Amino acid sequence: MNRQSRALLSVLIFGVITFGAWRWLNTPERDDSAGEIVISEVASRGGRLTASLRSEPRTFNRLIDQNFPVDLYAILTSSKLIRVNRATRALEPGLVEKWSTSPDTLTHTLTLRDGVTWSDGTPFTSADVLFTFQAIYDPKVASVLASGLSVNGQPFKVTAPDARTVIVTLPAPFGPGIAILDNVHVQPKHKLQAALAAGTFRDALGVATPPADLAIIGPFMLRSYEPGQRMVFDRNPRYWKKDAAGIQLPYAEQVVLEVVPDQNAELVRLQGGQIDMLQQPIRPEDVATLRPLIDQGRVRVIELGVGTDPDLLFFNLRSPYWAKDPRREWITRKEFRKALSHAVDREAYANTVFLGAGVPIWGPITPGNKEWFSPNVFRYGYSVERAREILAELGLVNRDADEWLEDASNTEARFTLLTFRGNSSLERGTAFLRDALRPIGVAVDVVTLEQGTVVQRMLKSDFDAIMLFFSTTNLDPAMNPDFWLSSGPAHVWNVAQATPATDWEKEIDDLMREMTAQVDPAERKRLFDQVQRVFAENLPTLSFVAPRLHMGVSGRVGGLEPSILRPQLLWNVDRITVQSAGR
Amino acid sequence: MIRRTAIFIGVLIVLALFAPVLAPYDAGEAFRDFLHAPPMRPHLEGATPVAHPLVLANRMEQRFEADRSRTVPLPWFGESGVPVFLLGADDFGRDVLSRLLYGARTSVGLALVATFGAVLIGALAGAWAGYRGGWVDEAIMRVADFVLVLPVIYVVLVLRAVLPLVLPATTVFLLVSVIFILVGWPFVAKGVRGIVAVERNREYVQAAQSLGAGHARIVVKHLLPACAGHLLVQATLLLPAFILAEATLSFIGLGFPDPIASWATMLADAGNYNAIARFPWTLSPAIAIFAIVLATNLIASQRDSRDSESY
Amino acid sequence: MGRFLLRRLGFALLLVFVVSSAALLLTRLAPGDFTIDQALTLDPAARERLRAELGLDQPLAVQYLSWLRGAVQFDFGRSLLYSRPVSTLLSERALNTAVLATAALLFATAIGIPLGIYTGSRRRGLGRSIVRVLSVLGISMPPLIGSLMLVFIAARTGWFPVGGMSSAGGLDLSWGPWLADLATHLPLPALALGIPLAASLERLQSQAIAAASHEQFVTASRARGLARTQALLRHAWPVSLRPVLGLYGVMVASLFSGSFIVEVVTSWPGLGRLMFEALRARDLFLVAGCAATGALFLALGTLIADLLLAYTDPRAGSGERA
Repeated sequence: MNRQSRALLSVLIFGVITFGAWRWLNTPERDDSAGEIVISEVASRGGRLTASLRSEPRTFNRLIDQNFPVDLYAILTSSKLIRVNRATRALEPGLVEKWSTSPDTLTHTLTLRDGVTWSDGTPFTSADVLFTFQAIYDPKVASVLASGLSVNGQPFKVTAPDARTVIVTLPAPFGPGIAILDNVHVQPKHKLQAALAAGTFRDALGVATPPADLAIIGPFMLRSYEPGQRMVFDRNPRYWKKDAAGIQLPYAEQVVLEVVPDQNAELVRLQGGQIDMLQQPIRPEDVATLRPLIDQGRVRVIELGVGTDPDLLFFNLRSPYWAKDPRREWITRKEFRKALSHAVDREAYANTVFLGAGVPIWGPITPGNKEWFSPNVFRYGYSVERAREILAELGLVNRDADEWLEDASNTEARFTLLTFRGNSSLERGTAFLRDALRPIGVAVDVVTLEQGTVVQRMLKSDFDAIMLFFSTTNLDPAMNPDFWLSSGPAHVWNVAQATPATDWEKEIDDLMREMTAQVDPAERKRLFDQVQRVFAENLPTLSFVAPRLHMGVSGRVGGLEPSILRPQLLWNVDRITVQSAGR
Repeated sequence: MIRRTAIFIGVLIVLALFAPVLAPYDAGEAFRDFLHAPPMRPHLEGATPVAHPLVLANRMEQRFEADRSRTVPLPWFGESGVPVFLLGADDFGRDVLSRLLYGARTSVGLALVATFGAVLIGALAGAWAGYRGGWVDEAIMRVADFVLVLPVIYVVLVLRAVLPLVLPATTVFLLVSVIFILVGWPFVAKGVRGIVAVERNREYVQAAQSLGAGHARIVVKHLLPACAGHLLVQATLLLPAFILAEATLSFIGLGFPDPIASWATMLADAGNYNAIARFPWTLSPAIAIFAIVLATNLIASQRDSRDSESY
Repeated sequence: MGRFLLRRLGFALLLVFVVSSAALLLTRLAPGDFTIDQALTLDPAARERLRAELGLDQPLAVQYLSWLRGAVQFDFGRSLLYSRPVSTLLSERALNTAVLATAALLFATAIGIPLGIYTGSRRRGLGRSIVRVLSVLGISMPPLIGSLMLVFIAARTGWFPVGGMSSAGGLDLSWGPWLADLATHLPLPALALGIPLAASLERLQSQAIAAASHEQFVTASRARGLARTQALLRHAWPVSLRPVLGLYGVMVASLFSGSFIVEVVTSWPGLGRLMFEALRARDLFLVAGCAATGALFLALGTLIADLLLAYTDPRAGSGERA
């Protein structure tokens, strides 16, 4: 045989072997074990719950960092004074047993639960609550929670008349009310007082802190942290909470957070049974991948509902950027954005980007935010003709032989759209938009850059248009003033303005302030509906489709109360049950 | 060997140049109802190659069924009205075969240019270092070390930030080639230097020196040919590395603008094991890369045994 | 010999210095800084305060000098990302990557070199073709897909743990069991990293020994009656190591930079991943520290390779004919 035939033959042999191996590996196993999958709540204890974490916490100090890993650590290891149930949105007592509010709604008297101790035995008293607020408001700490626990920049007044009572006085009427305490993570005074006094609070509770030095009041305590690999938590034997039958929570014996940076590797581990739940919702295409395992009952896919953080398309509305640009006559006009909104077939968008698992939206608030969503905003229906009409009114018509429109000065209707790689909904979404705007004669140059670069350009107002999404942790718009107020750093189309640049932005500012100070829920909703209407009329951001989200969990896990906000399943970790047998 | 190489390169050139004619669809043409459509099996109906059109069965699961009640001709043999995917479609609904053909131009062209440049510069630098020895050797090798350890990603990041946002494809091609050449030459230089450091002491070199040949002439006419075999192997190693490295650059932002296809991005998009298990046709660029590298390897090794005697 | 080592040490230090300075400079030049992550939640005044507190508002020269001052005392600053000294972070992670890289290199050498000798010494044979095809596969496989496939195989067969460097609770184990635990976690990433390397080594070794086999002194040794294998191993192989060893240092460097993908997919807590995260977050000092460590390992690898080269091929050093 000559060389070529031999090479071909070896390729063939190799191919056959690979094919056989692939088939063997991909055949689903017959599950012969008669393991019963218990869905309902199990009043028994034990088992190890393994979840994945995509990035590591930078610190254990929740007061100075709000990134997801730190937040998850806080949820596992601390308790809240008053908790907002993320599934039902109801207020639940936590470390605070009962509370009363003064008629002027400004003063809240909280009665703390009796007999609660930290994991090292020290009793939990109102001194700890007082200390926590002190730390939050301390300028040297520069806590990320401070702005959320202030009204018009004024901190709350907190006093502790006795060991079981705390009085919180707000400086002015505040819409969210006592629900704001959901943001407070109580810190142990006896452990951290010295650091606060010495001004080193920011350095306290770093990730190198030995677990023995951490005083815990939540369901789990950190047992070990292996950097780059995993965090292991044991149940806290001194946890105060019991279930309705009097059994002490948490149900699970141990929680392991495995650090898995790659999303695909995460899914493989779920399929293999090495982890029980993923950090974030699975992608639409993963649902079909998990189908064989779902049929066997080894994995469950839970529907969370419509997502509340849609992808947003926005233009640079800061005038100086366009000063010398010939496109300024039309590109900053709201009519241009209206035309774009008309040009997008939202159903096709949902089909292409989310494989059909999405609902069309016309504003940044989605139907997933049941409390605040207003369906009464103008919906720009899919109509290429209408889009062209509006563009023609702006002076954009096709003046030459190519397919793109030009304005009166013969400048092409073309803009640059920035986004970043690594997120499939953004990548597919921008590709879809580019194709969708072609029939109306608008050219889009999609440029994918690294994340930090895009954010930097946005902050410096150095861009034409950007498509991004923002993760919010609170559904109450009053808790996201950074986006809604024109002075906010996340007011993305024109960040951090000294005074509102337009009338409608001033209108939104006023409405938001009113709505934040208003205590009556119905009135707040009415005011915010108006905000959404103004928003839809001026379209500072364009939204197209909100995805339906799904979580993947192994069949061993029970007691789940899914929520649309992250962490979607672990927010309720003390009630999660794990079957220890039958892997 | 020359003849086989010529045929091989000729076929590549034909494929690349005629991609617009051969490819059934544009590289960016997306069929929204055919995301991850499987390859359609062609068969003969009389004298015309035809295939059964696909129908979407379940959008979420990306499942398709062949409509056996009718057939449509393959794209080169008539109008079909519905998309015909001989190698399936990717997750945007684009024809993989077309993108493979168009991508050949981008990826293989880029890799060939970069490989050639890196081999040329690396061979010259390494040969000079090995020949001269002493501080010239040290200097060149340390520069090579510096280039090797420098985090290129950072450089690209900074570079991307200062370049204009919208880069035409030719600019990207040039930039990426230059970056690859700058990153690749140390590999070649180190290997060549190792060979030349010994070869320079051989008799034929000393003979040439005594005849008064200049250094450059000795290096180019005598020493480099001695490294030819090694250089060829280096080329076969660099080629696939460059084809694939384009994906990393694209991740940082220095990639070809959509909808220009490149094999590396096609593979990066498919870089999800579950997707590959369900949609194996998205792995076709990897097969294509494998085939090209194998062919290059075969050509390269022919040269070795051509002028050897069995012993 | 002593002078040679000293010179190399000097260059190594110079390289480390230059590379870390370059990395520092580049991170400063890259758009955005460490506070960009939180920029959307802080108003500009608060962001400026944070930048001042972290020392990011100083001019480049000042920052660089203060870093330099610390560096010569082996204090490489604090990581902004993890609020820990850079040297601590580096020592943890660098060791992990070194273990992985060494394992991959050993595997690649143990597989690639002998296979290369095998294929290079034959002109025909089915075995040779199969090995050659496998090598080509090894070098043309995208690292991401290769790693994922290995992860998938491990998950399905259960032969190896699917990721990480140790099992949960591994820190509690004593030395013996801990080593055994490490030994089960090492193969997956080591294979992912080592297979492409083995393929490259096989190709290089194969060509080199085929070329060396035709050297006159080898034929001469055959004429003297030396058996084929002996002639191969004793005469042809050392000569063929020249280009291969010349590239060992380079391979060490590429292992460190290329290990990033493998570390991400297999959750190996190593330097590659750390460096990428540091870049993403624009963590100046951590970036400089990682670059410096990479440079150090490259220098070490090149030095070892050069020493081996001088040892195995007497002609390279003294310039005499064999």
